[in-house]
Amino acid sequence: MTTTDKSLRIGDVAQLLGMSVDTLRYYEKINLLPAVNRTPSGIRLYYKKDLSRLRFIQRAQKMNFSLAEIGDLLKMREDPQNVRDEVRSLTASKMQEVEEHLAELTSLRNEMQLLLNLCRGSKDGCPIIEEINSAEIDADDR
Amino acid sequence: MNVKVEVFSAPGCNSCGQARQVLKSLTEEMGSGHFEWREVNILDELDYAVEMGVFATPAIAINGELVFTGQTSKDTLRKALQDLLPGKQS
Repeated sequence: MTTTDKSLRIGDVAQLLGMSVDTLRYYEKINLLPAVNRTPSGIRLYYKKDLSRLRFIQRAQKMNFSLAEIGDLLKMREDPQNVRDEVRSLTASKMQEVEEHLAELTSLRNEMQLLLNLCRGSKDGCPIIEEINSAEIDADDR
Repeated sequence: MNVKVEVFSAPGCNSCGQARQVLKSLTEEMGSGHFEWREVNILDELDYAVEMGVFATPAIAINGELVFTGQTSKDTLRKALQDLLPGKQS
């Protein structure tokens, strides 16, 4: 950390990242976040590096990784060249999961883009979506 | 081997019919025996259309590869098809 690093208090971080202050304290308690710097009066101060780590945790949680797995991935993030083989192997396996998820998301995005493009230019609502909806209703009725 | 042509269309797509007509007349002109073509209704085969990379209609795939999206001139289509006919391949 440098002296030019701007620090944030726990309430600001909670608001910025959409996390509760309890969650932030809990992450520190279970060592997902190293002991946060504090002012002489004990107020927590979060720096850029802490925010980066917290954002990583958030992203990993969106992938449904467990806190234990996230802890291991954070070790890899801290010191990629000196981690245990199990951590390296876990990272490779989680990367594969992310790749698969990414492929699914890309496909979903492309499908939505295609449907939106088909609707574009239609003044009378969206015939494409209506047709899909009526096909689904027909299927449900069967 | 026949050239496989697929035209991706959708309900409400005004220029899809035109693309279909152009392709039909071109394949007749070049010998319909060389072509195997079908129309793909995107709503019936949405997964396939997405997999092929279709983002708009009409779209044309030749031999399993998306080559044209939107309105395409007859000359451009003719050239693309001619290049794939027997005796034209490198």
